[in-house]
This record gives sequence, structure tokens and C-alpha cells, in this order.
Amino acid sequence: MLNVTEMLEEIKNSPYREIEICAPHTGRVNFAAIQQGSKVEGPHGLWKEKPGTLLCTLDRERNPKPIAAVEKGELCLLHSELEGCFVEAGTRLAVIRHLLTRDEVQAAILKKALHLFTAPERAKYYFVPEIDKKVRTSGSQSVTVKDGMELFIMSRMKREVPLVYTGPAGLIYAVYFTHTSNVDAEQPLIGVCPPDQLAAIQEVIMRVQTEWTEQG
Amino acid sequence: MGKSNKESNVAPAGGLIDVSSHKVLVANRGEIAMRIMRACVKLGVAFTAIFTKEDTASGHVRLAKELGGEKNLYRVSSYHDANELMAVADDAECTAVHPGYGFFAEDFRFARRVSKRDRKLIFIGPSWKIIRELGDKINTKRLARSLNVPTVPGSDRPIYDEMEAERIARTVFDFQVQQGIKRPLVLVKASAGGGGMGIEEVYDIDNFRSVYRRIRNYAMRQFKDEGVLIEQRITDFNHLEVQIVSDRSGKNPVHFGTRNCSIQSTGLQKRLEVAPGFSPDEINYSFDARKVLDDIVHYSLTMARKVGYDNVGTWEWIVTHDGSPFLMEVNTRIQVENGVSARIASVKGEGGVDLLAEQIRIGLGEPLGYNQQDIAFNGVGIEYRLIAEDPDNRFTPWAGLIERFGWQEKPWLTMHTHVPTDVPYEIPTEFDPNLALAIVWGENIEQAKDRGRLFLDSLELKGCKKTGGELKSNVAFLRQKTAGILQF
Repeated sequence: MLNVTEMLEEIKNSPYREIEICAPHTGRVNFAAIQQGSKVEGPHGLWKEKPGTLLCTLDRERNPKPIAAVEKGELCLLHSELEGCFVEAGTRLAVIRHLLTRDEVQAAILKKALHLFTAPERAKYYFVPEIDKKVRTSGSQSVTVKDGMELFIMSRMKREVPLVYTGPAGLIYAVYFTHTSNVDAEQPLIGVCPPDQLAAIQEVIMRVQTEWTEQG
Repeated sequence: MGKSNKESNVAPAGGLIDVSSHKVLVANRGEIAMRIMRACVKLGVAFTAIFTKEDTASGHVRLAKELGGEKNLYRVSSYHDANELMAVADDAECTAVHPGYGFFAEDFRFARRVSKRDRKLIFIGPSWKIIRELGDKINTKRLARSLNVPTVPGSDRPIYDEMEAERIARTVFDFQVQQGIKRPLVLVKASAGGGGMGIEEVYDIDNFRSVYRRIRNYAMRQFKDEGVLIEQRITDFNHLEVQIVSDRSGKNPVHFGTRNCSIQSTGLQKRLEVAPGFSPDEINYSFDARKVLDDIVHYSLTMARKVGYDNVGTWEWIVTHDGSPFLMEVNTRIQVENGVSARIASVKGEGGVDLLAEQIRIGLGEPLGYNQQDIAFNGVGIEYRLIAEDPDNRFTPWAGLIERFGWQEKPWLTMHTHVPTDVPYEIPTEFDPNLALAIVWGENIEQAKDRGRLFLDSLELKGCKKTGGELKSNVAFLRQKTAGILQF
């Protein structure tokens, strides 16, 4: 049985996550009027439609790409020595110290509570078209999976093969992959909640909602 | 030839081109990037290389550091991002771009952009207009037909409409029935695909729609273009190629012989190539093989002259059991298997032909400097594509850790590989699991086959998967197929 109190205490002892902001592609860096130690905002608004605090712009082929903070936090490192330099893809530009939100804590605990179906190979994953349509229109929790169900398309090295779900029947409670990124072998693809554990999972959610105080 | 010495810089027509003033962006990865870098060094041309995060351990990264230094190596987000390539080319002050094969090699928009932007670069490949003309399989077909060059029956443009696709498929089926073909077959292929990817056969018109939809969806996911081609599937054929080389004048194309690429995977991807394409002196064919080789060379050169072809390129042919050739397509780029043609060739009596160096040299504007009479061929070359895959399971790619990789050096063996031999190497899943190209030369077919088997038997190749399971490779498949090379 999951000890939610213990897990919450553990997270409370170290409630931060350090987020590296790296150059998504090559380009010339121009930092915004921001300094190390500054507070930054992540994307906000009802639909997260407003971008986070501008950190820098990356100019490539006359296209300035704004690089914004992806989460709220404190700018604990800023590589201002790169100002005006042409940088390679993947170059570290800044580090944000981010205090975990209630939703993040909930997701972290749920990951331990749900049945995780993992990737057998490093590959890109897609839901099969009919499931994909359902997830897009009604959300993942509208899909019930069962053992032996053809659920994914695994795509690697330009080849696609169907992948069958194995595990307990239940609702897809969480989806941990996107179509655009590779998933490493043994990393979770989905979190499934069997019907007999639905009450326990909802209990976890309620506990986090009430016991985790969101920082303003 | 193939060197940037003063003699080779002097054009027969009197023009003087200094290739050593150029710097080439090597816009590719793996073994082809390594061959381009080595060709640049041979020519005295500077270069800049690129790599992605997934390729950090690739041999091409190591070689770039060794030959060009850290400053001439850039990490980019993707080999598919033209903006990345242009930005790096500008920062590194490159004057030319070599696309290798795959990626942008046959993208006329990229070639056009490279040569028309404010800071112009030389695209080391045919001019963009030629890529556009011949890269389009339909234009190629039309051009070929206008020159009385035989082509495969089928659609003459990408099809986006299901009803139209089915109508064409029915016509191609009916055509084969009228021809007396007992088991008519239609090929459905992704128009934007290549290298044998996104191709399926249809045996029964009733199954056409489901195959069409599958290929269309696959094409959309992989190539962002759901256009599909429908063609007659010719079975029982040999796949031959003609290697063409022509300088920027476009007036004097020469050929570097023929190749036979008939040994392929179930997904129609080449696995073993042999030069020359047939061997009428050593093998009996049911048709006049010498005439077929002469015909396809003649047709290829005729088309190359017609369009003013101005770099390296390959004309791909289907040759049926009765010795009828059909033009399949033109690859307006250097091909993986160029080395096997070079291996049996000499120019003005000198061996060691390097078609990549030739491509760069003429791409930068040097005249070819020799004609067809200066090119001679000797012996038989076999190229083995060593790949981590499972031939017993429809050639499924295998990804994992290569723990040991080694072979015995021989004067008749040339190896091209980006897989390190001194440290373990994790195959990145973002790319095909190609491990190496091994080119074996023999004075005749039997010697080439004996040497090929000797090489394969002495090869050390071991690996494992994190989740368990030993390396799967096509070595046994290649060994088994060696016995029947060049036989029809």
C-alpha cells in the first residue's frame, strides 16, 4: 500500500526541481534584461497561452527565436558570458530553480500508484488511430485498456510495428509520451488505473490537494 | 585525378580553379560524412562537420576532430533542419555544402536556397533545376519516354485521391492481364519516400484500398506528404545501375560502369552490390547481357546529355528475365554503393578512384579532365552492407550496444564505418542500424566471392541489448547470398 504521507514528507524535504534551459538549435544569443537570481514566470493564463519570462533570443537565419522560462522559479544560473556568441544546439544557457506545484507532486505520486506500461525499446510511440482519436476528443481517461489490446504503434528506424498492451485492465490515467520525442526503453508510456484501485487513486489525489500548499 | 595538385586544377579549356580556397560543410553523418571529410583532405579542401546529440559517439565526430579540429565541428538540433545547416555554414565561413546521401541530397528546394541566398554557397551535387527535373519520378518518366527510353507502366504523378488511386490500380492490373501475366501485381509506394521505404505490393484489387490507406498514413507520418505512386510490380528482375559523372559544363558525361543491386531485403532495400552489373564472360545468361549493359549505359548517357547533367548521379534500371530494361528512376546524388564502382575503375591507368573526391572537385568547378576512353575497368567488386537487423524476422532493425567489432586488414578489402572498433557503441534508434560497408575486390567473380566469404568469416561482431538478447546481424544472409551474385 502506498504511503502517501511518507512520500509527501520526502518531497517537502526537497521540493525543488532544477530545470536546464538549453539552446534548442544553433544561433546567436542575446540575453534579455534579466539577471542571475531574478524571479521568473512560467507560461500562464487560462490555457497557458501567455509565454513565460523572456530569457534570451536565439537568432538563426534572421529568425529570432524567443527562449522563455518554461516554469516559474528563480534563475539560479545565467550564462551571460555567451552574450552575442554563436552557440551550438544543446548549449546550456540558464538554470531555473523551480518549486514543485501541487499538480507536479500529484503526478509524481501517481506515477508510483498507477500500473505503468513501459516502452520495450527506445522509439517514438503513437496510439493506434482509433485510440488516438478518442484520446484527442475525450481525453485519455475515456479509454479503457485490457490485456492483449493493440494499443500503440512503435516507430523507430523508419519502421513501424504494432505494440500490444499487457497488464491489468483499467483506465488510462496518465500519458507519459509525446509523438515528437523518443521514449527510452523501460520508461513509462501510460499509467493505468484498474477499476478496483480507482478509490485509492482518488484518495491519493485528494490527499495531495489538501496537504500540499501551493506557493504564491 | 582526385588530387588538388596544380595539374588537376588546370582545366583543359584553360580555366584555373583553386579548389583549396573552398571550405565544405559536411551536411551528413556516419560513414558518408567520413568519406566526404577524407575526400576533402585528399583534395586540400577545408571542411566543417556537424552532429546531433544522438551521434555524439559516432566515428564521424571523432574523425572530424582528428582531421578538422574541435572548431570545425558543430552540434546541431537535426540533420533535417536547413536553417541549422545554413547558420553553421555562415559561422564556419563555408563556401560549399556537401549533402551526402539521404537528408537534403535530392531536395531541389534546399539546393536552390543554398545557391540563391544572400551569402551564396555551392551545392555539391547537380544544379537545383536538374534535381527538380530528374528528382521528380514523373518528369523523369516523361523525359525518358520522349527519348525512347523504356520505363515501368504506372501513374505519372503522385496520387492524393483514393478513388483515382483505385482507378489507376485497376488499369495497371488490367494491363498486366492483357499482357498475359498470370499473377498481376501492383506496387503502392510513398511518393516522397526512397530507399525502399513505404512500399507495399497488392496482389488483389479488393485489398487495394486498405494497402493504399496504410501507405498514405505512413507517408504522412514519415514524410509529411501523403502522395502515393501506383506502378506495375515487375517480379523476377535484376536491379541494375549506371554510375554517371559529369562536370559543370554538363556537356561531357562519362560513366563509371554498371552495378548489380539485386540482392535486397524483403523491404526492397539493397544489401549487396556488385560491379559490373552482369558478367557475360563468366556467366551464361538467357539474353544478350553485354547488349543490355551497353543499352542501359547508352540510355543513361543520352538522358544525362539531354538535361546537361552536371555532377554525379545514378540511373536505376529494372532488367527482366528476357533481358528487357526499364528505367526506374534517377538518383541525383552520390549513392551508398559508389565505392564498389570506383573499386574496379581506373582513370588514365591509375587506380584508387575516389568518386566522392571527383564529385567535390567537379562540384567546385574543376573540369573533369578526362573522357570515356581514359576510364577502364578491371575485376569484380562486391559491397556488403553490414547491418544490425534480423533477416529471419523480415529484416527487423536491431538496436543495442555493439561490444566488439573488428576484421583482418587485406589489400583487397576497403571498410567504411562510423562504428568505433576500440570502444563499445550504442546504435542510435533515430537512424538505420547500418554498421559498415565492406568492399571486396577480386580479379574475377570466383576470387571476389572467395575473398568475400573469407572476410565475412573472419569478421568479429558482437553486441547485446540492455533488455536482453544478443546482436542480430545480416552477416549470415550476406554470406549465403554471395554464392549467387550476378546470376539471373
